[in-house]
Amino acid sequence: MSAAVGALLYQEPGKVPSAVLALLVHVLLALFLIFGVHWQNRQPEAVTVELWASPPAPVGEKVEPAPQVKPEPVPEPKAAVTPEPKVEKVVEPPKPDIVLEKKKEPKKKEVPKKVEPKPHKPEPKLNLDRSKDIRAQLERETTALSQQLEKDRILDQMRREAAAFAATADAAYIGKLKGKIKGNVVLPPDIAGNPEAIFDVVQLPTGEVMSVRLRKSSGHKAYDAAVERAILKSSPLPRPDKPEQFQRNLEIKFRPQELK
Amino acid sequence: MNVTQDLSILSLITNASVLVQLVMALLLVVSFMSWLFIFRKLFALRLAAVQTEKFERDFWSGSDMNGLYQSAVNDRHRAGSLERIFEAGFREFAKLRAQRGTDPSIPVEGARRAMRATYQREMDNLERHLSFLASVGSVSPYVGLFGTVWGIMNSFRSLANVNQATLAHVAPGIAEALIATAIGLFAAIPAVIAYNRYAHDIDRLAIRFESFIEEFSNILQRQSGVSK
Repeated sequence: MSAAVGALLYQEPGKVPSAVLALLVHVLLALFLIFGVHWQNRQPEAVTVELWASPPAPVGEKVEPAPQVKPEPVPEPKAAVTPEPKVEKVVEPPKPDIVLEKKKEPKKKEVPKKVEPKPHKPEPKLNLDRSKDIRAQLERETTALSQQLEKDRILDQMRREAAAFAATADAAYIGKLKGKIKGNVVLPPDIAGNPEAIFDVVQLPTGEVMSVRLRKSSGHKAYDAAVERAILKSSPLPRPDKPEQFQRNLEIKFRPQELK
Repeated sequence: MNVTQDLSILSLITNASVLVQLVMALLLVVSFMSWLFIFRKLFALRLAAVQTEKFERDFWSGSDMNGLYQSAVNDRHRAGSLERIFEAGFREFAKLRAQRGTDPSIPVEGARRAMRATYQREMDNLERHLSFLASVGSVSPYVGLFGTVWGIMNSFRSLANVNQATLAHVAPGIAEALIATAIGLFAAIPAVIAYNRYAHDIDRLAIRFESFIEEFSNILQRQSGVSK
């Protein structure tokens, strides 16, 4: 009897301390995750770089021309020096049209790279007279190759910058969006002032509007509703010229004055 | 209107889809509960071990059994499991012996049965909540995985209509989804470790209790033989 009562009365000790400790464990973990872990937390800032001189040659690529040149006792230093001034000339023109040429250029360069190594190997066995011609050609080719490698690398770097840059430079895309939505807005007659309404729009890659959420009301309910209807009516939204400008979540601001 | 390069944990969680967020919330609650029970069992088992130790020392140091019984009855809520087992056995023994004209083996058998019953009850108390830890350990990785699979499905679906599929389109979605697995594992690993540890501790306590029951039965047997 009394044993049964004892069992019913049984209570595990330390209820409160263990709750506090459990909470503490989670708070510590959360703090660690929030403040301790930064995965790429800093945005790669979109810095426009003007190339005044060729960028420092990367370590990995310098190694490549060296073994090809070694077997010959002919003045090699030129090979190392010549590519540099040329790089500047080559690099400067592609810069403006980088975004357009992105996709095409890397493929062109892949081909010569692969073909290149084969002619080197038989070369040292030939006699000197011919080998000079060949060497001259080889040098031309090596400089061309190293130029291309360098160019590749720079293009690659610029492409990364361009990707970050493109997102901010899509004013044209916003203009297109606003233009389409503007056509669908039926303004309520009694708007005073020029209050700004901000909407969060979630769109599918096809441009279809998934959801519209009013983030910041203009203070004028009829106006907010009118714009919201217009956004929904504008589905599918126009697509950006460049697919990488596409964003799933858009933030669109509207002022009544600009709609008139 | 800027690309979300920010991959901090918070933004990953807030950007995840509703179902994934639900899974994360569920796992967080489960994780909290499992840590709560981990600490509670830790305290409870430590206390049980200390009390058992103390009572065994008292018992085998040759102190008077009636005195032990009285102290066990008096502060029952501070008594440990082993003390309660002793109390139940001794009470039954004393009651049965008081009835005259019975076979001397009967009080011992009765005491043993009473101790068995108390032992079962004590073991039940000690093992309380342990199954919860076991389920958390085995299930929460799957729950986390479910959230991850769902999130990855979504992030691939958004890829379907893009002309040029790049890793950048899916990577954030997958990272978001994988957080669910991470939380699931965070809940599961401590739970499994604690479960194994506590199950082992409880087994050891059980062996001590059982051997005490046997030894105490022997003592009672001897006593009833002497008193005849």
